[in-house]
Amino acid sequence: MSIDPKLLEELQNKRAVANAAGGADKLEKRKAKGQLSARERLEQLFEPGTFQEFGMHARHTCQRFGLQDKELPYDGVVCGTGFVNGRAVAAYSQDFTVGGGALGRIHAKKICDLMDYAHDIGIPVIGVNDSGGARIQEGVDSLSGYGQVFFKNVYLSGVVPQVAIIAGPCAGGAAYSPALADFIIMTEKNANMFICGPDVIKAATGESASLDQFASAAAHASIAGNIHLIAEDDAGAMALASELLSFLPSNNISDPPHDLDHNLNLAPDPRMNELVPATSKEAMDVHEVIKLLADDAHFFEIMPDFAPNIVVGFARISGVVVGIVANQPIVKAGTLDIDSSDKGARFIRTCNIYNVPLLSLVDVPGFMPGLAQEQGGIIRHGAKMLFAYAASTVPKITLIMRKAYGGAYLAMCSADMGADAVFAWPTAEIAVMGAEGAVKVLFRKELKAAEDPAAKAKELSEEYREEFASPYQAAANAMITDVIEPSETRARIALALRMTLSKRDTRPPKKHGNIPL
Amino acid sequence: MKSLRITIDGKSYDVDIEILDEAGQAASLPTTSASRSVRAAASQPVAAAKPAPKPAPTGADGAVISPLSGTIVSIDVQVGQAVTQGEKLITLEAMKMHTVVSAPQDGTVSAIHVQAGSSVDEGQPLMALS
Repeated sequence: MSIDPKLLEELQNKRAVANAAGGADKLEKRKAKGQLSARERLEQLFEPGTFQEFGMHARHTCQRFGLQDKELPYDGVVCGTGFVNGRAVAAYSQDFTVGGGALGRIHAKKICDLMDYAHDIGIPVIGVNDSGGARIQEGVDSLSGYGQVFFKNVYLSGVVPQVAIIAGPCAGGAAYSPALADFIIMTEKNANMFICGPDVIKAATGESASLDQFASAAAHASIAGNIHLIAEDDAGAMALASELLSFLPSNNISDPPHDLDHNLNLAPDPRMNELVPATSKEAMDVHEVIKLLADDAHFFEIMPDFAPNIVVGFARISGVVVGIVANQPIVKAGTLDIDSSDKGARFIRTCNIYNVPLLSLVDVPGFMPGLAQEQGGIIRHGAKMLFAYAASTVPKITLIMRKAYGGAYLAMCSADMGADAVFAWPTAEIAVMGAEGAVKVLFRKELKAAEDPAAKAKELSEEYREEFASPYQAAANAMITDVIEPSETRARIALALRMTLSKRDTRPPKKHGNIPL
Repeated sequence: MKSLRITIDGKSYDVDIEILDEAGQAASLPTTSASRSVRAAASQPVAAAKPAPKPAPTGADGAVISPLSGTIVSIDVQVGQAVTQGEKLITLEAMKMHTVVSAPQDGTVSAIHVQAGSSVDEGQPLMALS
C-alpha cells in the first residue's frame, strides 16, 4: 500500500516546470544584471522554509493571438505567505521571465485572492512589481484586472500595511497599484516607474526627457516624492521591507511591536544640552537630536530625500515604537512648505492608522513665504498638517525645542491639536509671529514718530523678544505640560510614551473626514 | 552608561550605571534584552536605505545656488581661494535662521556675485567655483 509513484512524479514535474520560471537563459540574463528571480525575491523576504505558495498551478485561459499554445507557469506571478521577523506576511512577486510579467485575468485574480486572504487574516501585503504591463492579448480582461487590483489596494488601505517594491519596469496604469500602497521601495538600478514614457512625452508635448529624469528611483525619491525608500538591490529591498514591518502592527486593530520589556531609561543625557546652539539663529541638525532620543541611536527614516526640511521616520524610545515628525532647521530654515506639509501629513496619517504614537520635534520659524508657495496652494497643503494631527487619535507627544511661530506652531501639533503632552526647552520661542514683524504692527505709530525708526524698532524688538520669545508665556497660559532641560528630554518622552499607551480617543462616527487633497 | 535591572525581594529596579572611562561610547550600548523575536530581528544590521544622489546644487558652470530667499549675512571665502567639498562659503539669514551654504564640490572660487547685506532669491547664483 503506497501512493502511485506516477502521481508523485507528475507533481514533481509540474513543480519543476514552475521552478524553471521563464527558462534558464532568461534567469541567467537577469542574474548578470544583478537581479534575483521572482521566487528568489520571496525566498529572501521570508524566513527559510516558511513560504507557502498560493496558486503555483494556475494557468491563463486566453485562447487568442497564439497564447492558447503558450505555457505561462503560475501565470507570471508567484504568490504566497510566509514569516517575516516571526510574523505572518502575504507577498506576491511578478515574474518578468514569464511572458514579461504581464498582467492577465488569472494573474490579477491571484493577486486579488492573496489580498483578500491578507485582509481576512489581518496580515501585511508586500507586492514586488516587475512587469511589462497589461497582457495585450487578453484585451479588456487585462485592463479590468488592474482595476480589480486597485480596488483591493483601496479596500485594504488602512486595514493591513501594504508595501510595494518596484524592482523592474512598472509603467502606465500599473504604477497606480504601488501608488495606492502605504510605502513604496524602489531598487536603485533596473527599476523604472512612469505613467507616460519618453516617446509618449515627446509625441504629446515635444519635450525630450530621459528615464533618468523622471522614472528612476533617484528622481522619484528626491524630485517627485512618489517613493519612500531606495534599495541598493533586490536583496536590499527585501531587507528594507522587513525592517519597515518591524515598526508596524500586522493590522489596524493591533498595536505595533513595542518592546515593553525594554528598560525605561530615565537617566539624564547631558549630551542633549551640548547640542543646543547658543543663539537662536544658529541652526542645528535635528538628526542629532533624534539620535540621542532613539534606542541604539537607530532611526528608520522615511522619504529622506524629499522635502528634507521635514524629517519623518520610525524609532523606538525605551522600547516604544514611535513615529517622529521633526522640523529640520538646516534645510530651508526648517519652514513648512508645500512638499514638506504633504510629506509630514501623509506620514502622520500612516502612523495613526497603525496605532503608532507620534512624537513631534518642533523648531519651525513659520510657513515658507513666497509667490510660488501661495500660488502653489500652501493653504491647501499646509492644512493637511493641521488636519492630520487633529484627526489622529494615537498618543501625541510634542517637544518644542526652539522656534514655534504662528500657524506653523499649531501645524506641528500644539496642545490645541490634541497633543497629550507638550514639553518645551528653555530655548523655546512660542509666539504668534517674530519680533521684527510684531513690532511693525504693534508700534506702527511710535515707529513713525521716532527720530531713528530703525534704532527704535531694534529696541522694541528686543523688548518683545525678551517677553514673548520664550516658553513661559505659553506655559503661563497652561499650554505646556512642562518646561524641561534638554538633558531631561529622553527621560520625559520615554515616560510620556509609556503613560499614554492606554489612550482611548473615539470620534463621532462618519464615513471619513474631508482632508484637503 | 549601562542600564541594569536589579531585583531585591521581588521588586525590580532599573538603574543606570555610568562607567566613567567609557562615557564616550555610552550611546551605542544596546539595552535590549532581545527577548522578543521581532525586536531581535529589528536590531540586526540590515541593508540601509540608499540616499538618492542629491540634485546638483551647482550648474554645469559651477554656479553655487541660493537654497532659499534671504539676506547675505557673511561671505566666508574670497575669490581665488581653494575650497573643499562641504566647506562653508556663505551664511545667509532667512526666516529668523542662519542657513549655511557650503561648497558642493572641491574647487576654486572664481567669482562672487553677492555681498554681505544683499537680498537674494531662491535659485539665484551666489558664486562660481571652477
